[in-house]
Amino acid sequence: MADRTLPRTDVVIVGGGWTGLTAAYELANAGQRCVVLERGGPRHDATHFAGPEEHDELKYALRYGHMMDVKRETLTFRHDRRQQALPMRRLGSFLPGSGLGGAGIHWNGQLWRPLPSDLRMRSHYTERYGADFIPDDIAIQDWGVTYDELQPHLDFFERICGTAGRAGNLDGEAHPGGNPFEGPRTSDYPNPPMQQPISNTLFGEAAERLGLNPFPMPSANVTRAYENPYGAQLHPCTYCGFCERFGCGYLAKADPIICVYDRIRDHENFEIRFGAQVLKVETSQDGRTATGVTYQGEDGLDYFQPADTVCLCAYALWNVHLMLVSGLGRPYDPQTRTGTVGRNYSYQTIAAVDAFFDDEIVTNPFMGAGALGVVVDDYNGDNFDHSDLGFLGGGYIACKQYHGRPISYQPVPEGTPPWGAQWKRAVRETYGHHGDLVVHGSSVSTPENYLDLDPTWTDAYGRPLLRMTFNFPENDRRMSDYVMNRAVEIAQEMEHVTSVASTNLAAVDSNYSIVPYQTTHNVGGAAIGTDPSTSVVNRYGQMWDHHNVFVFGACLFPQNLGYNPTGPLMGLAYWTLEHLKGDYLDNPRPLMDA
Amino acid sequence: MPHRYSRRSVLTMAGGGLAATVAPVRHAFAQVDDRPWFFLTDDEARWLAAITDVFIPEDAFPSASQAGVVDYIDFQMATDYGRGDGLYLQGPFPEGTPEQGYQLPLTPAELIRAGIAGARGEVDLARMDGAQREAWVTDLSERDDGIGDVPAGTFFSELLSLANEGYFADPIYLGNKGYAGWDMVGFPGAHAYYLDLVDEHNRPYRRQPMGVAHDPSGRSTLPRPVGRGG
Repeated sequence: MADRTLPRTDVVIVGGGWTGLTAAYELANAGQRCVVLERGGPRHDATHFAGPEEHDELKYALRYGHMMDVKRETLTFRHDRRQQALPMRRLGSFLPGSGLGGAGIHWNGQLWRPLPSDLRMRSHYTERYGADFIPDDIAIQDWGVTYDELQPHLDFFERICGTAGRAGNLDGEAHPGGNPFEGPRTSDYPNPPMQQPISNTLFGEAAERLGLNPFPMPSANVTRAYENPYGAQLHPCTYCGFCERFGCGYLAKADPIICVYDRIRDHENFEIRFGAQVLKVETSQDGRTATGVTYQGEDGLDYFQPADTVCLCAYALWNVHLMLVSGLGRPYDPQTRTGTVGRNYSYQTIAAVDAFFDDEIVTNPFMGAGALGVVVDDYNGDNFDHSDLGFLGGGYIACKQYHGRPISYQPVPEGTPPWGAQWKRAVRETYGHHGDLVVHGSSVSTPENYLDLDPTWTDAYGRPLLRMTFNFPENDRRMSDYVMNRAVEIAQEMEHVTSVASTNLAAVDSNYSIVPYQTTHNVGGAAIGTDPSTSVVNRYGQMWDHHNVFVFGACLFPQNLGYNPTGPLMGLAYWTLEHLKGDYLDNPRPLMDA
Repeated sequence: MPHRYSRRSVLTMAGGGLAATVAPVRHAFAQVDDRPWFFLTDDEARWLAAITDVFIPEDAFPSASQAGVVDYIDFQMATDYGRGDGLYLQGPFPEGTPEQGYQLPLTPAELIRAGIAGARGEVDLARMDGAQREAWVTDLSERDDGIGDVPAGTFFSELLSLANEGYFADPIYLGNKGYAGWDMVGFPGAHAYYLDLVDEHNRPYRRQPMGVAHDPSGRSTLPRPVGRGG
């Protein structure tokens, strides 16, 4: 029971990151009074992220200065239902943010669009390879929204971020130097591609010799002075090498504070409350709508904030947690394979390839940026023939130079011991002569990978922790191995490479570990779709069970594609907001029949 | 290079009471130091110097203890990280699989203290010669039993991480003295602006490293929370 009930607002928004602030911007400008509840504190790029103080590897990259506090909220983890899930006692595999801007502050800025076939994955594979191609233990689904529908929104978000890149497909016309596999785009990237260092350049040349199609990674590290459609000013990236896990004090990495918050903060319809931990979404007597949310304020008191519309804009995992502790939707039960909340949790399948150069190549690895890369997309999605491969999905292969921070960046040739004189010499000799290749692979959903509530452990507010049951699906292990071997071939083809090493985190005999960092791309658990028995929200992001609750973020993905999620999830956010503003507010109701 | 060696870290045992028997330990710490540790006891510090110098031995570049790694670990154990910041410590604490991560009811400071006590109960690392020490550390790295009251593997990986951090973290945390670690690999530090340089391929970029607390004149203005010692 809340200590106090506050005056009603039109819209209450849970979370002040990319989706929450964007929802507030769009809805406030549409005449809706918006209250954003952010669990963390206020901060700003200019005052909180400036160098040299921000360029502190220990504080931000290792001690997670910008991340959420697991003392307050965390989850438990196990590989399968036979095991007891145990708490994630410290951060590791993924790093959700906290505070104004959320994880949008410490992202790398790799800004992708989905392939058209990614959004209708089940239909696409069935059409191309036959009805028997998809095994029973793979739960992939269509998104219920098509590339053509999302395209204008994907395009708009690229302009919000001042994205740097080169188009490969403009209105169906192929453009050399871009990604030949991308869906048709209505406009080119707003800014030219980044300048590439030697390692990425050698990768591109080798890929081309192998008949592949290299192109510069689309980047929200901006390449020239730029004003976005909201009027935000962004500056050119300095290649400082402090991007992922850091905020950008140069105002050069697009983030929710400079791109959105600054442009809405003074609007009369906008209010944000910091230190506001949402505990529960409250529902009406008949259970058909939400009445608002209960949150704990900075003063430790519980407040009920009534609202006509509720937008769930927390990080993917915490959106799902909030639904489960609030009784929104029906929890997924893997035994009966019924229910939807927590269903289709998936991740990202990452493999790494190291290319070691001779001394003629000097990489200066500290001259980096989060999205400084050259990529081939030839083995992503269904861009290659899967008929005889025994798996579906794929990933992009990138050569990146994103940092040379010396605690974390210690590439050493295979066979080097982990400490001692030989290790020390290898660290010194390799530091400036190494190329960093990554395979960024898709992740299929399965009936056994899911999220629910833990029976034992609780968070600082007394709520049961979220419980994650996940291991790499066999499909993804095979996929990852295959694409990693293609990456090894490219590395071996690169000039001046003396040796190559590879690591597949999803190797056939290994299990997913929550300890080493992989990627902050947790997706699913609140799938979007057109069938209420397999999705939590309809194709407009509206909950089937509570029509005034709209859900945002990567929790909507029915499985993970081979790309970084920010582009696709923001395309969905603008798509949802278009229908919320244009179709729902004047006549609140379910926008699709269940 | 000023401050290449921390004062306390180069205090050799020569002339001291133990010198004759522990001569191979060239960089052990001594009670003659004029500054007390924040967290460690002298014995713990001496033990840490011995093991971290096996991790990062002296060559053309300083060893771990020469570069202030023990000072770094001492400072970390006494502050937020050592006290369990960013660590969920609600019980119960059943044993898990390695993939489930850390599951001990201990802060890092408690883990390090218990592990060192266990190790010192087994052998006297400081009295071993170089080869013996390396053999013992190799053995420790492969153990899956307990050392004292803590799992050897967890203790070992925590120690190795701390040593690595201490060698390469910004000197404001008291390790990486004289930029030993940054100088070794060629990392220029916290003052970073490379827009005009990133596509100048194969051109070595060498500059005296500068940390967070470096002033523009190139002088170090490190805030020294520990007073005058090295």
